[in-house]
Amino acid sequence: MSNVIECNNLTHYYGKKMVYENLNIHVRDGSILGLLGKNGAGKTTTINILNGFLQPRSGECLIYGENSQHLTPATKARIGFLIEGHIQYAFMNIHQIEKFYSGFYANWRPAPYWELMSKLKVSPKQKISTMSCGQRSQVALGLILAQNPDLLILDDFSMGLDPGYRRLFIDYLREYAKSENKTIFTTSHIIQDMERLIDDVLIMDYNRVLAQCPISEFMTSFKRFDFELENDKVNLKKELFVKNLEMVKNKVELYTYESKDFVEKFLENNGIVHKGFKQVKMELEDAFIGLTGKY
Amino acid sequence: MWKSIVYKEWIKIRWFLVGFTILGMLGLGYVFLKVQRGFTFNGGTGFWYNILFMGMQFFGYFKYIPLLGGLIIGIAQYFPETVNKRIKLTFHLPLNENKVLLMMHIFGIVSLLASYLLLLLAFISLSSIYFPSQMIIESVISVFPWFLAGFAAYFFVALIVLEPVWMYRFFYALVAGFFVTIYIKSPVIAAYGPAIPGLSLLTILLSVALLFSAYRFRKGEM
Repeated sequence: MSNVIECNNLTHYYGKKMVYENLNIHVRDGSILGLLGKNGAGKTTTINILNGFLQPRSGECLIYGENSQHLTPATKARIGFLIEGHIQYAFMNIHQIEKFYSGFYANWRPAPYWELMSKLKVSPKQKISTMSCGQRSQVALGLILAQNPDLLILDDFSMGLDPGYRRLFIDYLREYAKSENKTIFTTSHIIQDMERLIDDVLIMDYNRVLAQCPISEFMTSFKRFDFELENDKVNLKKELFVKNLEMVKNKVELYTYESKDFVEKFLENNGIVHKGFKQVKMELEDAFIGLTGKY
Repeated sequence: MWKSIVYKEWIKIRWFLVGFTILGMLGLGYVFLKVQRGFTFNGGTGFWYNILFMGMQFFGYFKYIPLLGGLIIGIAQYFPETVNKRIKLTFHLPLNENKVLLMMHIFGIVSLLASYLLLLLAFISLSSIYFPSQMIIESVISVFPWFLAGFAAYFFVALIVLEPVWMYRFFYALVAGFFVTIYIKSPVIAAYGPAIPGLSLLTILLSVALLFSAYRFRKGEM
């Protein structure tokens, strides 16, 4: 399967502050990739580089083989872009904005747009600026669906949406992407949403990529073990297999890619007395926090 | 694509353009009411004496109206693009980024030009009621730089509004203030005659200044 997006040795700084160095990411054709990271980890920076709104200090991102800084109009027509906050030309109404965009895209399909608009309780001449956040999200999504792009880049699509609109957005999007073999690169700060939507996960921390793999692989390989130490002075953080460790008094949450047997044997071989050892099932949000830490 | 660009830009500026043109016409109406009043109360001789020997510009009240038009249309057209960085949507359209901006710009220039031509036509028509053709020609030469000032203001507004860094905006505003006063400095009738080709060239050069702000935005300056 070929890659729609390839970022090679991407390095960027804001002044002297490093965002990341030699970052390599790729998005497979037909997959839905979710970029997860804490605030300031570089999610929006990556989206901006991908859309040509930020020139990286070095390295490059290729979209359909073209450098994202110099995309040709034909390639831009293949990319649907959702700006954080579902920003659109809010001085237009839903008819005007559909008429405006339809002039740019040869494959324009108005039906999905009007299907979504029919669910909104807005008057035909109501300006987008007077709509609720949820309604605006549907306008932005409807326009992307009508554009019928091959690749969708969505920057924090869940921002400002109530649970109902988030669910509607995700269900529409996943159904659309899977039925028409579309590729999606998305970020969201609400990780439960991602779990319903994505195939692949890319987790970034400050300056580096912590994980990039299919979400099913990540959820089975990344594990959490809870136990209580007899001696809370034992330092497990320095062990290579420990990806993160959260301790409250003598209660330990240990996150690792190693198996239950491996961890138990390690504790036993090193004479670390403990009790209540158990593996805890995680949702994606737990795993994300487990990998990146709580702060 | 031209049709879509024109459609969007028209939605943004239509009421401002119509409003400004009406305001300009009212301004002209006021100018010629004063002319009428001058002829009535000072008599023809007195009024002509003021024009010929006292250097009175009967159209002086009109001086800042084209400038105001450039500011209004520039802000109406470019400010909505910067709210929530909507210019990203414009740059994402399947067109070259500079091309799409220049298309928007050309629409703005043509709209402003249409409004200015209407005002100039009204100015010439009303002038012809009171003054001979030689006087009208001198007056048109006098007001021409004011219209150029309007275009310069429009180009500077585009440069300033699209600039992503506030400090640069402030700097550009100072430069704009300096440049625009060049066009409206002399109060002497037709004094700008010899300078019109130079001023026109300067204005044409300013017309592409917005591409620099757009380039800085796309580079990620902030």
